[in-house]
Amino acid sequence: MNCEQYQDLLSEYVDGALASDAQYSVETHLGVCAGCTEARNDLNALVDFCLDHRGEYDAVPNERALWLRISNMIEVGSASSAPAVIPENAGWWFRLMNRSWRLSFPQLAAATVVLIVLSMVAVMGARNLNLIGSGVQQAGFVPLLGSTSVKDRYRQQQQVIAYWNERVELNKARWNPQMRETFDKNLSVIDAAVNESMQQLTQNPHDEVSEEILNAALNDKAELLKEFATL
Amino acid sequence: MNFHFLATRNRVSFAALPALFLVFVTVNSALAQQRVSRHYPAGKNVRIELKNLSGTITVETWPRDEIRITATMEAPAVHFNPRQTDAGLVIDIVGDNRDRRDVGDVNFKIQVPSRSSVDLETRSGQISVSNIQGDLVRAHVWTSGDITLSGVNAARVFASNTTGNIFFDGEFASGGTYEFKSGQGTITLRLPASCGFRLVATAPAKKISMGQFWNDGMKWAGEGRRIIGDVGDGRASVTVTNYQGDIKFMRR
Repeated sequence: MNCEQYQDLLSEYVDGALASDAQYSVETHLGVCAGCTEARNDLNALVDFCLDHRGEYDAVPNERALWLRISNMIEVGSASSAPAVIPENAGWWFRLMNRSWRLSFPQLAAATVVLIVLSMVAVMGARNLNLIGSGVQQAGFVPLLGSTSVKDRYRQQQQVIAYWNERVELNKARWNPQMRETFDKNLSVIDAAVNESMQQLTQNPHDEVSEEILNAALNDKAELLKEFATL
Repeated sequence: MNFHFLATRNRVSFAALPALFLVFVTVNSALAQQRVSRHYPAGKNVRIELKNLSGTITVETWPRDEIRITATMEAPAVHFNPRQTDAGLVIDIVGDNRDRRDVGDVNFKIQVPSRSSVDLETRSGQISVSNIQGDLVRAHVWTSGDITLSGVNAARVFASNTTGNIFFDGEFASGGTYEFKSGQGTITLRLPASCGFRLVATAPAKKISMGQFWNDGMKWAGEGRRIIGDVGDGRASVTVTNYQGDIKFMRR
């Protein structure tokens, strides 16, 4: 067997679920292979962390945004073998997203855990400091939304929108004028729906119709930006 | 004598210039467009998936167990590679031309058996579907473009755009799901009187007209921005959302 095949067995090895002959084979290989030993150590650390902190965490509040970020990182990392050309004036986010990432499964899993912990810390911190609405917002509006879930959802959606918007802005210069005009016109239609429902929610924070429209319009905006970000 | 002859010839040439220019423009335009037509065998319940960049999409039915795709392309360099799958046919202009710049309009005319399902998507341009009786009709325009669905009798219908009108003239099947959504434009649903459905229609602009489908069991909600209620047996589920435009129901 080669290293890749041994690393496929590591998860079961760490769980003690391998047959005795396979376990002996893996142990023998680990004795001579530094790379697989490192992968085993990473996996052990991950399993230990999860066991030590079992039951301490609730469900991640911005699960969708978190997975989107993770999948984006993977996508950006594997989209092209050639290094991306990064403009000199590109922002740190763009530079970060255009780096190549080559992660083993244990490293990826560890990164996932770290991201979960970081996002929970960020959410808890924001709640404690009452910073709702201080992130990326529609210009000119300070959302005074009703329930915490609406505020959280709004902030999560705005994070997703900000990410895709940055990618769209980088590509936009290459579009033909007609496409730019069409895109801007349609984005303004969705923005108008967002702004209108936010105004309604400012006046009546428990307005269900406005809440639903806001949610739908923000989703539409994120989807539109994502669709055009690949152009 | 010779001078006179030359002058006459020049006058003739100058007079012919506009006509020659017209011929040149016409020929050039025809050469710039490429028309491709392909046939594929199909069962009665075939599914067509089309993802276009821009241009019109027209789907019609015909009494043959085969699919005919006719694509008129503005830019001859557009890649056009329909793929046959177990379920039917997939045409992905977006994927086939991902690294290309300035891909022009591709106008599709698709002829399919009436029991087909169609899943159509374009970044901009009109979508027109007529007489489809299959399981699914989905028409999505990411930005601007009207959607016209006429003679449609499918179990699931989804039509959405950001700017443009949506017109549906068809029937709602018992237990079916129907969703219509626009950012700006008029959504018109033309239905037979016997239609039964459970409706949630939302228009923040407060422009919802139920016409003859209004009944006492229906309720206004959200200060006139939403109507909820059953029409007839209420067995189909109908959701209509329009951010800025009107929603109209018409009886056939």
